[in-house]
Amino acid sequence: MSRIELKNLRKEYGSTVAVNNLNLTIEDGEFIVLVGPSGCGKTTTLRMIAGFEDPTSGQIELDGKIVNDLEPRDRDLGMVFQSHALFPHKNVADNIVFGLRMQNASKETQLQKLHEVSELVRISHLLTKMPGQCSGGESQRIALARTLVTEPSNFLLDEPLSSLDAKLRRELRAECDRLHAELQKTFVYVTHDQEEAMTLADRIVVMDLGEIVQMGSPIDIYSDPVSYFVADFFGNPAMNLIEGEFVKEGDSIEFRSESFTVPVPEEYKNMTPGKGTFGIRPENVNVSSSNGDSSRKIGLVEPLGKDTLLYFETAATRPFVAIVDGTEKHSSGEPVELTFPDKNMFLFDSNGDRIRS
Amino acid sequence: MAMTLSQKRQTFSVVRYAILTVWLCIVAFPMFWMVGTSFKPDREWFSWPPVYITENPTLRNYAIVWANINEYTKADGAHIDPKTGELSQYTQSLQRPWTALRNSSIIAGLATTLAVFFGSILAYGVSRHQILSEGRMFQLLMLRMVPPIVLIAPISLWYRQIGLLDTITGLVILYFLTSLPYAVWMSKSFIDEVPREMEQAAEILGASRWRTIWEVVLPLVRSGLVATFLFILILTWSEYLLALLLSKADVLTLPVELSKYQGSTEGRVYGRQAALSVGITIPLVFVGLIIRKHLARGFSFGMVRR
Repeated sequence: MSRIELKNLRKEYGSTVAVNNLNLTIEDGEFIVLVGPSGCGKTTTLRMIAGFEDPTSGQIELDGKIVNDLEPRDRDLGMVFQSHALFPHKNVADNIVFGLRMQNASKETQLQKLHEVSELVRISHLLTKMPGQCSGGESQRIALARTLVTEPSNFLLDEPLSSLDAKLRRELRAECDRLHAELQKTFVYVTHDQEEAMTLADRIVVMDLGEIVQMGSPIDIYSDPVSYFVADFFGNPAMNLIEGEFVKEGDSIEFRSESFTVPVPEEYKNMTPGKGTFGIRPENVNVSSSNGDSSRKIGLVEPLGKDTLLYFETAATRPFVAIVDGTEKHSSGEPVELTFPDKNMFLFDSNGDRIRS
Repeated sequence: MAMTLSQKRQTFSVVRYAILTVWLCIVAFPMFWMVGTSFKPDREWFSWPPVYITENPTLRNYAIVWANINEYTKADGAHIDPKTGELSQYTQSLQRPWTALRNSSIIAGLATTLAVFFGSILAYGVSRHQILSEGRMFQLLMLRMVPPIVLIAPISLWYRQIGLLDTITGLVILYFLTSLPYAVWMSKSFIDEVPREMEQAAEILGASRWRTIWEVVLPLVRSGLVATFLFILILTWSEYLLALLLSKADVLTLPVELSKYQGSTEGRVYGRQAALSVGITIPLVFVGLIIRKHLARGFSFGMVRR
């Protein structure tokens, strides 16, 4: 049983506030992902849990016990670092058993656990190598093994995959998922990669400027973002976000920008008109053959196999993107009509907050 | 005519090696001359045209300097006092090279060890916990910029009062303090190379602070500390001015001993000096050989493999 609670956690560096009044409860066995752009305070939060940074104020509790003044080694944590931080002068086996040696475990225990974890993360063939001879992916597996071997209740992972290439990243992502399922331990995972967050998390904590912006399951975050920031951050290709103005037109409201004019659905009729943003995910854009006036010309066509991406030039710097089925035939310059289903529209006010119906 | 890229690269590489070869000759020539002279008989020391490699190699310079053997014959008349028939002054065993060697070993060895030991501890504190600000670090280095000559007078006055003048302890303390800034600066640059995360990884795996330093930091900076050690050893081993002025009769070091072979009334006895110089150099070369596997890594700074 292990539960991490952060209460009113705050960290200042001089006059800059890295983490501001953060409250978060991480349940036993949960896989939680802290995600946000660099400088959002996610790593600082993780390092405060680990005990490498002292909070300016607030409390960190593990199992209801305040651990603010405990040394990192007394917190029952394991941590995997972005740089792997393997000891370059020790071979792989010595790296892995380091934690056991620090606990004065017997030689037999060390050997037995070494073989257990190296099979678990599939690095048995590397044990006699030096870290310098191992690839990035192997290094990260070794780092995982080194952390697993002491069987801590909580695992902290600080951007563990960001130094790897895309294919390895996918592979090790699956590995993390498998380990979590097998071990049933608490994982706190920091990343700036929305895809990693989506695929790994039981719960995503989106951070920006030192504060939690939104918390929830990956699907919640994706389908119901609370702000422009969250909407923009999740999804690949990103949500189409068009800056413009909501204008009252008699009884109804219309969204207008240089490139688009969209009638706002009935249920939003009580909103305050003014500047704002209209959002629609690329996969929710309906593309149909043109029937005259409202047609647009397709810019770039990007076939990805299963899907095809269609790009449309707009007045904004970011092109408007639509995803259509890979079997549909489209070509650059072809006139089409774009329509947006009411239920898939996202409206944001000038502060970037979501407008609800 | 235009060169292809590979021709250009070849030319560049030839030019580079040519320059390095010339440079090596310039640097190595004094060493060659020192070793050569030490084996030359007296008349070849200043002969013109110069003798590069003697055809009459002799060990007599070594014997006279290191073994106190005076086997002058009438043929070496230049060194026999014509009036008394006695050996001239500088050959009369006034020199004590073995004592000087012993003193130098103790003083340089001890001072260097102390400087590297305390310097690296201080450097760790500066690197990891900013116990000295950047300004203080520069002030520390500035201490080395003070010309030693201005320190001589006050230091000899103090030393006289506290009884450290002309003692081994006195010189050890002085050498330790003057090389401490180098030790701090050099070892800091090596400690800075060890990523913090590596220490934190050890810490979170349960290692105590000391265990972390012992098992993680020290093995990674060892080469750097060895390089620092040799660098400071060379400085203290060959330090002359302070040793000359702060010691009189009792504590003779090798560089001071060397000076006694110069400027005597009989003229300069280059062969003996060269034989002594070779003796002074050998221990350093020996130390260098023992630790050579660390030196290439240590002196190339960016050394920790991440």
